Amino acid sequence: MSIPSANHQPHTAHRGAAQTPHDAWTEIRRMRDEGRLVAAFPEMCSLVARLDRDGRARAGALLAGLDHDSITAAHPEIPTLTTVVTGNGTSAALRAPLAAEFARHGLALRLTGHGHYFADLGDPQGAAFQTDTELTVCLLDTDAVTQELGAVWTVEDCERALGALASRVRTFATEHDRKGSGVLVLTTVALPTRISRQLVDHRSRARLGRAWREFNSTLLGLGVDLDRCVVIDLDTHLTDAVALDDARLRTYAKVGLSEPLLQRVAEEAAGVAGTLRGRVRKCLVVDLDGTLWDGILGDDGVDGVHAGGSGRGAAFAEFQKVIAQLGSQGVMLAVCSKNEEEQVRQALCGRPAVALGEEDFVAIAANWSPKDLNIVTLTQSLNIGTDSLVFVDDSAFEVGLVRRALPDVGVVELDDEPALHPERLLAGDWFTTLRLTEEDRSRAERYRAEARRTTFRAEFSSHQDYLAELDLEVGVFRPGTEDMARIAQMTQRTNQFNLTTIRMDTAQVAEYDGGADTAVWGIHSADRFGDHGIVGVLFLRTPGDGFVVVENALLSCRVFARGIEDAVLACLLRQAVAEGGRVAVGLYRPTRKNHGFADFYPRHGFRPDDGAQQAEAGDKPSWMPTEDSTVRRYRHDLSALPAVPAHVTMTTLPEGVFHDRRG
Amino acid sequence: MIDEAEFLELLDEELGLRVTPEDLTCDLDALEGWDSLHLLRLMSALESRTGRGVRLTDVIEATTLGQVLDAVVRDG
Repeated sequence: MSIPSANHQPHTAHRGAAQTPHDAWTEIRRMRDEGRLVAAFPEMCSLVARLDRDGRARAGALLAGLDHDSITAAHPEIPTLTTVVTGNGTSAALRAPLAAEFARHGLALRLTGHGHYFADLGDPQGAAFQTDTELTVCLLDTDAVTQELGAVWTVEDCERALGALASRVRTFATEHDRKGSGVLVLTTVALPTRISRQLVDHRSRARLGRAWREFNSTLLGLGVDLDRCVVIDLDTHLTDAVALDDARLRTYAKVGLSEPLLQRVAEEAAGVAGTLRGRVRKCLVVDLDGTLWDGILGDDGVDGVHAGGSGRGAAFAEFQKVIAQLGSQGVMLAVCSKNEEEQVRQALCGRPAVALGEEDFVAIAANWSPKDLNIVTLTQSLNIGTDSLVFVDDSAFEVGLVRRALPDVGVVELDDEPALHPERLLAGDWFTTLRLTEEDRSRAERYRAEARRTTFRAEFSSHQDYLAELDLEVGVFRPGTEDMARIAQMTQRTNQFNLTTIRMDTAQVAEYDGGADTAVWGIHSADRFGDHGIVGVLFLRTPGDGFVVVENALLSCRVFARGIEDAVLACLLRQAVAEGGRVAVGLYRPTRKNHGFADFYPRHGFRPDDGAQQAEAGDKPSWMPTEDSTVRRYRHDLSALPAVPAHVTMTTLPEGVFHDRRG
Repeated sequence: MIDEAEFLELLDEELGLRVTPEDLTCDLDALEGWDSLHLLRLMSALESRTGRGVRLTDVIEATTLGQVLDAVVRDG
């Protein structure tokens, strides 16, 4: 049992407060003894998140034994992914590490499949092609190459074997991209010395090394070119001195990757799963003293704190660059520091800010309030959840406080060795996403524009007066190929205004848009302070009989409270009427986070649909099994239509609700 | 070397597997929460704990946890 530390605050005393990894593991086993692992699955997940890698390796064996159906029955709100684990060897060895990593992300793992990649991925009827499969992880190891070789082989034989394997994997992955379901995660195959040293001359070894890397290059190319394929480059993990395999396990049990390496693969695969389920971190909150620079601003002054130059300063400069690099790819950066704000702003405009300046941060919280309170205020001003944040600090006290008070926040604990800061931060792989979009690259600028908007808003006595002066323009359009990744990302990242919370990948969005009776409408907006980019999406189905069904509607939290959603819905209904439509149906599926918009359809004149009407056209959402009873249906008879708000100028609209189909 | 009590503690600590001394003679297939792949993790945990090599072939052939312990004691 964890003994609360001396500074433990009574109001946060709950079981999730286990501080050390060892405490968390003890607590998990206590829950096992009480038979509560399934009943308290969410609580157990937050304990797993406290474990270090060793701890998660221990917990994996226990978690892999839990019954998935009981977990989903007890916790329907826990996202579940149907996952195929497959490969050329004993792929089942990945199951325990994967169960632990899923739990760490608060996900439940439903395993399926045969276990061999010929059956699961090479057969069009295989598990990777079943419609409910959302993730397929295919482990390839060196045996996949060597089993193609005879007892005695030449480098030419090995080149042929690598070529044949590359071609097979490319065929499988391409077919999966075309017809498969969900995302395919592949691993590259490492070249161990036990193979290269079987060739006695250096020239042949060089040739083997080249051929092997060309093979891996082909695999990595699949991750570049295919929409539904992610390739994990094992070489990068092996540079962390993780063993490739264990000779005995490989020989006697056909397990081709060591347990620590399987754990790395599981971490990456669970990261992909988390992305698919909207478990995305969006904002990095950094401390300043001892984190971004050497010294204490309050004691040493702006000229007394250092980053850059040589020695420790160089290490802090390096860390600032890593943070700037994350910021350049759409991670929002914020400061949370116990200092005077004026002094912090001075320092961020001065010498200590080597790679990061005041303008790189979307928010600066510099004051003497407890950091957990500052973080909560930050999430409110950015309109994101605490589970979207990662907090970095070199103070064990602050780290402990935030861990206890805000268990959803990702926490990175640094120490007084700044050279280790970058790897400590990057080890968590917090911000990984499937595809980077233009929206990501310009996110920081958009939040700065938002700050200018806030200042502007303060000049008006009412929100309506502010909106009237905002020059808001909204355009609705059919997306092009270049927009699909952003729209898929919105389905994955948006949690609040996401009325049925259906997560999709790029290929699924394109498929939906090209469907015989389905279409995607993108929503774009701009105002006097700048272009917002794509801020919303409607997923529309027109099943016939004059019905249009809004199967999902999304709006970015950046543009809430401006009437954009009202304008777009009003335009849709008007256009439906103009084309002779009879009924509009809106779907809402409650989640933990979208309850703020439960009244969206009723607010616009939609009425709850009763059972008798469900037999009509437009009944079955195309993406949803009919037994999903959590979906609420609302219908509008298109008689009294809502108005487009006066402050919104509509710029573009698609040509038709019913008649603008793509082939 | 490792005795029975330490072995049971190791199963709990390293695999999260709570077993009683009676379970040591239970057929592995009938043991609740057991998966054959646990043997691999158990082997490496035993090697770290005892500082000695264990023959994987002996461990794989075991049909009860008691036989695993015997193999470790014998090989050690």
